Amino acid sequence: MSTTLDLPTIGNRADAVVTPRRRGFWHNLWRVLRRKPTRMAGAFVVVVFVVIGIIGPWLYPANLPTDSNLILSGPSLAHPLGTDFQGADVLALLVTGTRYVLVAAALAALLTVVLGAAIGLYAGYRRGLADSSLMRITDFVLTIPGFPLLLVLSTVWKFGSALQMGLVLGITGWGGLARSVRSQTLSLRERGFVEAARGLGLSTPHVIRRELLPNIAPYVAMNLLIGVTTFIYSQVGLFYLGVLPFKAENWGVMIFLAVNNGVTQTGSGLFYLLAPLLSILLLTLAVVLLVDAMDEVFNPRLRED
Amino acid sequence: MIEGSGIEKSFRSRGGVLGARRVQALRGVDFAIPKGGAVSFIGESGCGKTTLGRILAGLETFDAGRLVVDGEDLSALKPKRREPVFRRIQLIHQDPYSALNPTATVEMTLRDPLSLRARQTDRPHSWVSSRATEVLEMVGLDPGYVLPRYPHQLSGGMRQRVVIARALTVDPEALVADEAVSMIDVSLRLGILDLLRRLRSELGVSILFITHDVATARYVGADGELYVIYRGQIIEHGATDKVIANPVHPYTQCLLSAIPVMHGLEEPGVDRLEPTEPLSELQAEGGCLFASRCPFVAERCRAERPQLMPVGDSGHEHACFFPEVRRVVATPIG
Amino acid sequence: MTMTAGSGDPLVTAAVVGGGPSVQIRDLTVAYRIAGRDMAAVAGIDLELPPGSITGLVGESGSGKSTLALALLGAVQKPGRITTGSIEIDGVGDVVTLAPKAVRKARGAQIGYVFQAAQNSLNPLKTVGRQLLDLAKSHDVDDKQSLVRQAKSLLERMGLDAGRMLDAYQHELSGGMRQRVGIMFALVLNAHLLVLDEPTTALDMISQANILSIIRDVSTDRALTTLVVTHDIGVVAEVSERIAVMYGGRLVEQGPTTQVLRDPKHPYTRGLIRAIPRLHGDPALAQALPGRPPTLGTTPETGCVFRERCDVFARLQLPACVETDPRPTPIDGDRLVSCHAVASEHQQADREARA
Repeated sequence: MSTTLDLPTIGNRADAVVTPRRRGFWHNLWRVLRRKPTRMAGAFVVVVFVVIGIIGPWLYPANLPTDSNLILSGPSLAHPLGTDFQGADVLALLVTGTRYVLVAAALAALLTVVLGAAIGLYAGYRRGLADSSLMRITDFVLTIPGFPLLLVLSTVWKFGSALQMGLVLGITGWGGLARSVRSQTLSLRERGFVEAARGLGLSTPHVIRRELLPNIAPYVAMNLLIGVTTFIYSQVGLFYLGVLPFKAENWGVMIFLAVNNGVTQTGSGLFYLLAPLLSILLLTLAVVLLVDAMDEVFNPRLRED
Repeated sequence: MIEGSGIEKSFRSRGGVLGARRVQALRGVDFAIPKGGAVSFIGESGCGKTTLGRILAGLETFDAGRLVVDGEDLSALKPKRREPVFRRIQLIHQDPYSALNPTATVEMTLRDPLSLRARQTDRPHSWVSSRATEVLEMVGLDPGYVLPRYPHQLSGGMRQRVVIARALTVDPEALVADEAVSMIDVSLRLGILDLLRRLRSELGVSILFITHDVATARYVGADGELYVIYRGQIIEHGATDKVIANPVHPYTQCLLSAIPVMHGLEEPGVDRLEPTEPLSELQAEGGCLFASRCPFVAERCRAERPQLMPVGDSGHEHACFFPEVRRVVATPIG
Repeated sequence: MTMTAGSGDPLVTAAVVGGGPSVQIRDLTVAYRIAGRDMAAVAGIDLELPPGSITGLVGESGSGKSTLALALLGAVQKPGRITTGSIEIDGVGDVVTLAPKAVRKARGAQIGYVFQAAQNSLNPLKTVGRQLLDLAKSHDVDDKQSLVRQAKSLLERMGLDAGRMLDAYQHELSGGMRQRVGIMFALVLNAHLLVLDEPTTALDMISQANILSIIRDVSTDRALTTLVVTHDIGVVAEVSERIAVMYGGRLVEQGPTTQVLRDPKHPYTRGLIRAIPRLHGDPALAQALPGRPPTLGTTPETGCVFRERCDVFARLQLPACVETDPRPTPIDGDRLVSCHAVASEHQQADREARA
C-alpha cells in the first residue's frame, strides 16, 4: 500500500522556508496601518483627539477666564481661534469640551457593539426560543424613540456627566447591529467549521467566542469606529437643539450658543461656530480612513504582505 | 457497530400555493456499519445520502426509526446523553475550504478540542500539544510546517488532512466522509482516500463513505458493503464488488453506466444504459420510485412499490420486480 | 425536433458547411504581474485544435488551463497579460493583436463560451428568454424571431422543453438543465468554436454522462471545434478525440486520446492516470502522486516544472531536468511530449533503429 505524504518539499519554495509567526493584535494593527499613508494620517488624528480628550481639561482652569473687552473676536495671538460671546478662549473651550464628547461617544459605541454583537451572536447561533425572544427585545429597542426618551430622562438627569449620555445613547442604539450580526451568524452557522465544532462537543460560549466572533470581528470593529462618529453627531445634535439642559462645556453646547448668540446672522466670531464643526468633520474623516484597515487587521489572508 | 433501522426523515420545502410540501428525504433506511468496516452510500445529489450522514453525526434529527450505536439506542436517550455518543461519529465535510475556521491557525484548530478532551480525561495540559503533533503525523502532515499556518496557506489536500486530524482528536469510532475528495485536486485525491483506508486498517476506525463516484467508494472499501440509495430508499445493497460486478437494479445500472470510460484502456460495458428522463422533483410517489425514469418499466412498477428482497443467499438485496444482471461496467482492454 | 429539422435556417447551414475553424496557438505566454514580478501562468504553449474536433485540456488547479482558455477568448484579466505568442482563430484572426472591441464581437458570434460553474452564471432575476433578448441586443441581432427559433431548436436538441425553459428563472432549473442552457447561450449566435470550462464539475454522474453526450452530439451536428477544459481525465477520456495535459503552466503532453491513455509518455500523465481508482482489477493498484501541484509563486524558475514529483527524475537525476525547461518532442507522428527523459529515450531508439 502506498503511503503518500502530502509534505511540502523544502527547496526553492518560498513558503517552505519562512515559517509564519502568529503575532498579537497590536502588531497586526501597526503593520496594516503602515501600508497606506491615509491610514496613518487617520490614526494620527484620532490619537491627537484622544490625547486632547485625556489631558484637555487639565490644561485649563475649571472656570475659564473671560475678557469682556474681547467678545466674539477673530483669531489673534492670544486667542488662536478667537473668543466666545463671554470673551472666553475658543481653543480652550474646544480642548476642554473634547473629553465629554469622546467619552460619551466611545461609551455609547462600545455598549452598542458589545450588546449588539453578543445578542446577535447568541440569538443567531442558538436559534429557537432564545432567538425569537431576543429578537423581540431587539425589535422593542429598535422602536424605542430615543429622542423623546432623552427628553423625559432630562427631567431627572442633567447629563452633566458624559457617562450618563453615553449610557442612554448606547442602550437605545444596539438594535440594528444585533439584527445584522444575527443574520451573519445564521449564515456562518451553516459553515463546515462551525458544524465541526458542534460535532466535537465544544461548548456554546466556546463556539461563539472562538469560531464565530473572529469571523465577524472586522464588521464589529467597523461598527465600533463608525458608531463613535454617529454618536458624536447625535449628542452634538441633541445639545445643539438645546432641548437638553447642560452644565458642562462640550462641542454641541458651543454650536448651540454660537447660533443663539447670532454668529450665523452677524458673522462675527465665526471661529466660535466653525471650531467645533470642523473638529467633528476632521474626526469623522479620520475614522473613515481607519475603517478601511479593519478588514485586513482581522482577516489573516488579507494581512499577509 | 452502528445500526440504523427504518430511519425516516422529511423536510418541509417551500413553494406551492397551498403552503409547504413535505419532501421525503429518507424512507425507512436500514443499514449496519460493523466496527472497523467500510460502508458506502452512493446515489445522485438529493437522494438523501447527505442527510443520512448528518443524522449519524448528530447534526440532524430523524423522524422515525432506531439508531443504535454500540448497543445504545439513541432514540431512547435524552439529548444530553446522546451528545457524547454522536461525538464518536465524526463528519468529514465535502468542502475543506469551509470546514476550517479561516481566522484560526491549525494549532488553534486542534488545541480547542484537545484541551476539552484533556479536561474530560484528566490528562495534563502538556498532552495537548504532543497529541496535536501525533494526530498530524497520523494524517501524513509535517507538524512543524502545518501548525503555525492558517487554512488559506495550505493546499486543498492538506486542508482535508487537517480536517481529518481534527476529527481524530476525539478518538472517533467512525468517520462519515461525505464526498470528501470531490473538491480536491485529482493528483491528491488518492492520497486522502488512501489515508482513510489506513485509518481503517491501523486504528480500526469504521468509514461511512458517501459519494456519487462508485470507483472511489470501491477504493476505500472494496471489501465493504455498498448501499445504492434513490430518493430516500435503498434500492440495492450488497458486498461492494458483487454489486459493481453484478448489478440487478436498473438504477444501479444507470449509475454505473454513467462512469466515464477510459477509451484506449477500457471498453464500455455492452449493456450500458441511461435513464429515460432526468431527475425531477415532481416525480410520482406511487409505485416504484424509479418507474418514471426506468428504461424497463412495466405495468406493475407503477402500481406497487417493490421492497428490498434478497438475490440468492449472499446478502445481495434489491428492490426491483424485474431484476436482471446487465454488463454496464467498462472492462479493461487486453 | 432535431438539428436536421432546424437546418433549413440559413445560419445553421453556414455553420455546417464551414466545418468549424481551426485554432493555432503558438508560443503563448500569459504572465501575471504580482509584487513587481512577472509570473507565467501559461508558458510557451503550442497547441492546435483541428477543425471539427473535440480537444480535452486537462490540468489540476494552478496548471494554467483556465488562463489558457481565457486567452483563447481574449479575456485575460489584469494583472495578467499575454506577453508573447499568437492565437490564430480561423475567421477571427489573431486574438492577441485584435482590437478588444473586435474580440468582444467575436465572443458569442464566433466563439461560444460556457463558464466554469455555468450553474450560477445566469441572472437570477430574469427569465432565460429575457436574457436571450439581452444577448440579441448586445450583439445587434435584428431578427429576434429566428434567434428564438434557433434557441428553441438547440434546447430541444438537448432534450429540454424549449418553451418552458425560456420562461424559467434560474432557480427553477436543475444543475444539468442550467448547464444545457449555458451551452445554448454559447451556440445560439452560431459560434463555430466552443470552449467549455469545467462543464461537469458539481454535477452528478448521470447528469455528467448526459452533458458529455450532448457536447459530443452538438459538436458533431454543427461541426464545431470544441475545447473542453477540465480537471477530470475521465471526462476527457469519455468525450474528446485529442487530449492536452497541462502542468505548472506547461503543456506536458498532447495527442490522440486513446493513444495517450493507453500509453502515456510523460511521467505526470502516467501518474495522473494511475491515481484514478477504477471499477475493475485490484483497487490497491491505484497509486497516489506524491507532492502537490505548484502554484504561481512556487513554480520552479529553471528546469522541468514537474521534477519535484517525478519518479523518473527521482531515479535518473538527469541534469537537463534541473537546467532547462523541456520543449515538446514529436513522438509517434501525432503526439508531443515535453520531457527530457522521454526525448533522450526516443532519440536513442531512433539511432538504434537507423543502425
